[in-house]
Amino acid sequence: MMRAYYAITCKAFFRNTAYRSEVWLRIFGNISIVFIQISIWRALLGTGSLNGINIEAMITYSLINASVSMMLMNKVIYVVDDKLKTGNIISDLLKPISYPLLLFYDELGNVVFQIMFTVVPTIFIAWLIFGFSFPTEPYTIVAFVISLLIALAISFLLGYLIALVSFWFLTTFALDWMVAALITVFSGSFLPLWFFSAEWRFIADMLPFQFLGFVPAAIYMGKMDASEILWMIMKGSVWILILWLATQLLWSRAIKRLVVQGG
Amino acid sequence: MIRVEGISKEYKQFARSTGVIGSMRNLFSREHTLLKAVNEISFSIEKGEAVGYLGPNGAGKSTMIKMLTGILVPTSGMVTVNNLVPHKHRKEIAKKVGIVFGQRSQLWWDLPVQDSFDLHKRIYNIHDTDYRTNMNIFLELLNLKEFITQPVRQLSLGQRMRAEIGLALLHNPDILFLDEPTIGLDVIAKDNIRSFIKQMNREHKVSVLLTTHDLKDIEEICPRMLIVNKGELIFDGTVDQLKSNLSPGKLITIEFESNPGNEVELANADLIADHGIRKTFKIDKGLDSAIDFVKRVSKRYPIKDFSLEDSDIEDIIRMYYRSLDNDNNIGIANQEKMSVI
Repeated sequence: MMRAYYAITCKAFFRNTAYRSEVWLRIFGNISIVFIQISIWRALLGTGSLNGINIEAMITYSLINASVSMMLMNKVIYVVDDKLKTGNIISDLLKPISYPLLLFYDELGNVVFQIMFTVVPTIFIAWLIFGFSFPTEPYTIVAFVISLLIALAISFLLGYLIALVSFWFLTTFALDWMVAALITVFSGSFLPLWFFSAEWRFIADMLPFQFLGFVPAAIYMGKMDASEILWMIMKGSVWILILWLATQLLWSRAIKRLVVQGG
Repeated sequence: MIRVEGISKEYKQFARSTGVIGSMRNLFSREHTLLKAVNEISFSIEKGEAVGYLGPNGAGKSTMIKMLTGILVPTSGMVTVNNLVPHKHRKEIAKKVGIVFGQRSQLWWDLPVQDSFDLHKRIYNIHDTDYRTNMNIFLELLNLKEFITQPVRQLSLGQRMRAEIGLALLHNPDILFLDEPTIGLDVIAKDNIRSFIKQMNREHKVSVLLTTHDLKDIEEICPRMLIVNKGELIFDGTVDQLKSNLSPGKLITIEFESNPGNEVELANADLIADHGIRKTFKIDKGLDSAIDFVKRVSKRYPIKDFSLEDSDIEDIIRMYYRSLDNDNNIGIANQEKMSVI
């Protein structure tokens, strides 16, 4: 059965290669975002530092955060939304495999493509332009990879959860917009969580969004010690469990009230 | 193979008011009507049967296919496919059925046709030897050879449908559902697809349930047909039965040597067109009576020539649909108006 999902991932990967010109546009877009963020921080921080964060640290942070956000799977909303609106969801449901896993491995193919053709080139170009620090401790790298996997899982489950809500409303625009805003603020892509006030930091800690950018970046930069990392991994796993249970519950109800649009 | 007993499916349809005030009202109160897409239908299909499922637009044909494949849950009634309840065993059912939608694609749009087949091999866990046997059949009979390496988005509709049908049959399903498989195809493409489906049905004993608006599909592939209208099953039998039940009779046009006048009155025949020496009569069904009729006429009046017309299946269905349209009021009674806040 794993071979089926592996095949789905491969096909999704190759589907992306059909539109190669987009690759260059994406890299250009990402470099621009990182460049803008770095310019802002340079203006704000100058040569000094704030809460122990200097401009070099912010460059690394911006780059990692932007790279993680490129790998997030919450875009699965659009996939399901489109399939519900056109009624093409029927083709997926007629296959003898789990629907959420089909979506997950399909998205995974996109993510692998993104990593190879957008994230890696972006980091390489940014490293040439801005300079960039790499982690030294091997356990940091392991923890970073784990935090990336948590980010993938949480972003997928969040996107899928909202997609399931659209079985009721047949549209996701407002909800999706809200989640996108929440991710922007609480994943720290706008402002790292270090600079949040105590109350806002508390809210951010209570939500799953910090795993979608801030946590991987902080681990990468060595801003978390071993016990903090362990605690974060545990918390992330609990969020995965909660979201997974919620999607299971919603799925069993959604499938009963599925309305397939058109003919 | 397929058992359907007293199955119904209701949809809620929201009535949307138009205009500014109407759309404000839509935000708070929504009126809806209950639409019975399928109403108390029962039938069964045996292994190896080919059945046409016919009905005007909106008769609930696609809804039935979706319930049989477990995608929609029936509002009431019972349905089993291979002794399984489809919506409870969606994945098991999926392994046993193949589906082709004339209006949707199951192929991967941006990838070569071959890739979709490879992927299905993995998803359905098809054995290498079965895969090779089937691929050889499809490459030959569906002539997939000529475009197997092209991306799906570059195919013509006829090519795409051939690939769709091959893909649906790749995992050797027991049942093949075809939802308007020949829609939008040219005559030759239709013929190819029909003969292929017929062959798979006769030789490989794949049961076929086919919905269509093209009666030729049914005449060529399906010995048995079900006709639905407004969610209700109104006919279940063979094409011949339908013809003999409903046939408006035969039309005979006779050209006389000289005009016999309009006093020609014969038993079992109505004069429906009179052009002097050429007259058209409508007589009751049965070929014998047609020959007898001509004999009787020729005894009394010398005739030069005659021609015989059978009303074809399209006319019959058209008559059938029209006669149903006249009792439209019944359909409206099925939809109750309700209001929810």
